[in-house]
Amino acid sequence: MNALAITAHTQTSAAGTGNAAGAAALRAGRSGLRRCDLPDVDLETFIGRVEGLEDHPLEGELAAFDCRNNRLAELALQQDGFLAAVDAAIRRHGADRIAVLLGTSTSGIAATEEAYRRRDPATGALPPDYDYRHTQNMYSLADYVATRLGLSGPAMVVSTACSSSAKVFADAWRHIHAGICDAAIVGGVDSLCGMTLYGFNALQLVAPEPCTPLDRQRRGISIGEAAGFFLLERAEDAPADAPRLTGHGESSDAHHMSAPHPEGAGAARAMREALQRAGREGHELDYVLMHATATPANDRSEARALADVLGPRARCAGTKGLTGHTLGAAGAVGAAQALASLAGGFVPGTAGLTDPDPELGLDARAASEERPVRRVLLNAFGFGGNNCSLLLEAPC
Amino acid sequence: MLNPVGIHAVGLIGPGLADFPSAREILAGREEHLYAPVQIPPTSLLPANERRRTTQTIRLALRAAEEASEGGDRTSMRSVFASSSGDMDIIDRICEALTHPDPAVSPMQFHNSVHNAAAGNWSIATRNPAPATALSGFTGTVAAGLLEAVTLQLSEGGEVLLVCYDVPSMELFREVRPVTENFAFGLRLGPVAGAQWQLRLDPGGNGPETPCRAPALEALRATNPAARALPLLERLAGAHHDAVVLEAPAGRVLGLHVEEATP
Repeated sequence: MNALAITAHTQTSAAGTGNAAGAAALRAGRSGLRRCDLPDVDLETFIGRVEGLEDHPLEGELAAFDCRNNRLAELALQQDGFLAAVDAAIRRHGADRIAVLLGTSTSGIAATEEAYRRRDPATGALPPDYDYRHTQNMYSLADYVATRLGLSGPAMVVSTACSSSAKVFADAWRHIHAGICDAAIVGGVDSLCGMTLYGFNALQLVAPEPCTPLDRQRRGISIGEAAGFFLLERAEDAPADAPRLTGHGESSDAHHMSAPHPEGAGAARAMREALQRAGREGHELDYVLMHATATPANDRSEARALADVLGPRARCAGTKGLTGHTLGAAGAVGAAQALASLAGGFVPGTAGLTDPDPELGLDARAASEERPVRRVLLNAFGFGGNNCSLLLEAPC
Repeated sequence: MLNPVGIHAVGLIGPGLADFPSAREILAGREEHLYAPVQIPPTSLLPANERRRTTQTIRLALRAAEEASEGGDRTSMRSVFASSSGDMDIIDRICEALTHPDPAVSPMQFHNSVHNAAAGNWSIATRNPAPATALSGFTGTVAAGLLEAVTLQLSEGGEVLLVCYDVPSMELFREVRPVTENFAFGLRLGPVAGAQWQLRLDPGGNGPETPCRAPALEALRATNPAARALPLLERLAGAHHDAVVLEAPAGRVLGLHVEEATP
């Protein structure tokens, strides 16, 4: 397929605000997880919480959008010169030729949770300042970002649980390929809320300690929040030193709503499709940035998919020990980490890993390895058996 | 203007609109629309014990999916599920539960709370490993879904199932989200060859949104984001031969040009 160039990007998570902090934490294996200290949540678990969101409400013309998810979007947009890069792209292409295609799993649901807690004790009515459309509605994130950036190209939110912000890269490729737009802002945002913390807890998928992906003792996920944004353009419109999206693959497990296919059949299908679109073979990958959520079943299923596609002892890494599982933002976080490793010349370690699970048959290491990296396959899988793999490559 | 795709089948369920064949005379303007609340017939896609584990939102979407996928290969078509708000009943229940100390969230409600619950249930029910997606564009959701499904068909070929659906708001939300009726529709898109209609999208279109020809349907159009498709459904039923303009996200509109297949 014709590659897309990634001409600007930014990431913010518990591991760091902005690319430099995120990349430093990735290289050093420095975790941003902390004991759960969210008000209104009383659970024995660790979370990846972004500092300071409580103190920075959205104001002025954008005040209607104020909620934790859009605040996190705003914080991320302000990093890494992303706003200036978008302005330059508007001058190149026109505001109506840049699409806004973003992923989230729960959008601004924390605003609705809070509104329920503030209902009128006498009538039960929602508080008068509650704004469903601009906060909780699934489209709110793309609405906010398009409004904030002054973009009027095609816009939507993709919400396929934890694959959401990976799938939007494939959407951007199709939109640009069809000529609907010349560039796209992709990525995603998900933010901490009671629904996901208590929901995953009810499914007994949450670890009481910081998550330990790919470890023999892994007991479940740590939930985090994050935002990542990427400006995608045709490779021929971009500088030669821009990293590239060269392949994408999507599939469904067709197996279970909340449990992965035991053999990783859907995951393998998505990985193969991404390689095939890029015209690459498995041995050309430097490593796989796994979804690796640290639940026993997820990591086992994904390891089997890696064995199927790449053979035994595939070089890989899992990074949810740094950020927590950022759910609908996981694809965006992974893409930013993959770009950091391409630019910085290192294979990330797997934070939290002390005793690699021999049953998985993978080559995952606790510490980062310094060496040139040219190709990273990134996985993001979600509830509903929804799988997406992306192939990210260094500049030609 | 994008290249044409074929529309091979239509699914529909809404107030007084039981399915596409029986609604066709109403949509064509030859019969009066009579309001009747939506009764979702049990889908044959799921066995009875599995149906009980779903929600009304999923059953509504699967009903439109079942009708629109009739005659196609359900085990291989790609799918796009478009909904402005997803499962409002579950959101209501979970947000209510979270107001209590030590909240009890139902595991089944939680996994069905994801926006792709209908897409996941569809792929499981049909054992279909093809990609499935779920999206939202607020009141421009139908246009966003059409753009997604058509670009998928043009990029990848084959058949693409598009399902748009939304459920009414709970009482508490009637003012902040005025969705008052159930509504879902589906299209089975594919190659132009062998299709009943050709559809061309104009993403750079302009002009005002197309209203419904029939006043009763025009009143229905505002009751649900998925019902924004009614002017397209009137066109497919032959009420007129004009282009249809739908609201799209980000202040845009989407032009729809339909032609009947020439025999």
